[in-house]
Amino acid sequence: MNRGLLAKAWRESWLLTLLFGLGLALVEGLLSYAIPRFQEQLSALWSRLTFIQSIMQALVGTERAGPLGPEMIGAIVWVHPAVLALVWGHAITFCTRVPVGEIDRGTIDVLLSLPVSRWQLYGTETVVWLASGIAVVLFGAMGTVGGRLTLAGTMPIEIPKLAILTFNLFALYLAVGGLAWCASASGDRRGRVIAVVFAFLIGSLLLNYLANFWRLAEHLSFLGVLHYYRPIPILRDGVWPMRDIAVLLASGTALWGLGGMIFSRRDLRTV
Amino acid sequence: MDVIITESLTRRYGKRIGIEEVSFAVPEGSLFGFLGPNGAGKTTTIRVLLGFMPPTRGHAKVMGSDCWIQSERLKAEVGYLPGDLRLYPWMSGMEALKIFGSVRRRDLMREGIELAGRFALDLSVKVRMMSRGTRQKLGLVLAMAHRPRLLVLDEPTASLDPLMQEELRRHLRALSKSGHTVFFSSHTLSEVDDLCDTVAILREGRLVAHAALEELRNRSQREVIIRWRNALEMPQAVPPYLEIQRRDGNIWICQLAGSSRELVRWAASQGVEDLSLGRPDLESLFRRYYEGEPP
Repeated sequence: MNRGLLAKAWRESWLLTLLFGLGLALVEGLLSYAIPRFQEQLSALWSRLTFIQSIMQALVGTERAGPLGPEMIGAIVWVHPAVLALVWGHAITFCTRVPVGEIDRGTIDVLLSLPVSRWQLYGTETVVWLASGIAVVLFGAMGTVGGRLTLAGTMPIEIPKLAILTFNLFALYLAVGGLAWCASASGDRRGRVIAVVFAFLIGSLLLNYLANFWRLAEHLSFLGVLHYYRPIPILRDGVWPMRDIAVLLASGTALWGLGGMIFSRRDLRTV
Repeated sequence: MDVIITESLTRRYGKRIGIEEVSFAVPEGSLFGFLGPNGAGKTTTIRVLLGFMPPTRGHAKVMGSDCWIQSERLKAEVGYLPGDLRLYPWMSGMEALKIFGSVRRRDLMREGIELAGRFALDLSVKVRMMSRGTRQKLGLVLAMAHRPRLLVLDEPTASLDPLMQEELRRHLRALSKSGHTVFFSSHTLSEVDDLCDTVAILREGRLVAHAALEELRNRSQREVIIRWRNALEMPQAVPPYLEIQRRDGNIWICQLAGSSRELVRWAASQGVEDLSLGRPDLESLFRRYYEGEPP
């Protein structure tokens, strides 16, 4: 690891991380506060609009959506599209800064003229990314706690379950980041790379949704990242989803490693 | 000792040739001009030398290190200014010196501030607020602040005003005198002619010339004006290295395509009253290299 590169990565990313973190805290805080308050209205809407049930079923990870109980309310906070967009957005934005962002803006020439290996550069960026990712999901968890505290008594905070959910969200963040690193190491245009990763995530979401009523999609749903992020069972049972977390961590690590190998061997030139 | 050695260096982009069978050596302490028209392969060669891409075939070594396998090591001793320089917009000159110094594990402040003074650069300004020429100056400062053994400059004068170009040339000459090597890539003959002692010329990815500038000067034509004492003493035939362009009474205007020593010897045996020799016409020699005619 190189201190100079560390300083550069930190200087370039701290504001991004702070903004995404605050955004996530705000969204999770608001959802944690607002959804239980409007439970009755939401329940009425829930029972009328069945397609919302299937979307939520796809997101929260349960076999049957069932009534809008405390578990479902708690889970919505963790799978709300705004929450996922912020977590994925941070991972994608950060992981496409280097190398594809540097190639796209033409600064890779200056960066690679420095006496550091590509693995050193990749590793240093990864360290800052991991620290930033931890900060972002912790901001989210703090937002949930903040939102719940304003509703003391109605929605007790169960710290062990919160810890499991936060870690599962972080594993999801790592898997998405791993994919973004891999795509970033292979591409020349940042916009295209972001589009590819985003398309994969939308595809993953769609697959989870279609799996509710289409057998083929159900068989393929294991290919999507959301298959391994299911807050309802965690909130219901309080058990660590070891298999899901292992799959997310392993795929994230494998994709990150593949990205590193590609980056260390590829041609680098400004486009 | 040669700082750069390339042997049959070839780099292709799919079917397109970047460079083909390029072999040259750059001696330590030299001011090496790397000439060629746009798209000749100059930047591709530099990218291979700095380990940005592996060669398709052949070898390149910089200070004894393989350019692809040991690029990290060699870059500790190399300063590089890219042709199309882009810097981080959020950086000021001071921040850049601090961060680059930290990456290089060296304090670049003293040398950087001295260089900035030389190039009239305000280090407190952020890159996003700098003009193109000012960014180029900062790029030069960052490339030279660690006093590299080898300085690779890809068209460094592109955005500099004439005063700064002269200042840069002065500085590069001083660096060369103190043993540093300068690899100066350009498509402008005049600045290479003014600065360098050795040149290599690329055309369509191939090396078409590699020689000391003095040798090329000898190869190039020079204008010669001969004034005869009287018309009677004018010779009937001239040596093969002398081509008469125009006769104006007892004055001949000729092109010399050989050595000036031979010309003077020949003229001494003739009834020549005065003889004047122009500067070697490198421009036309280089144009012929660029355009692919045999010089």
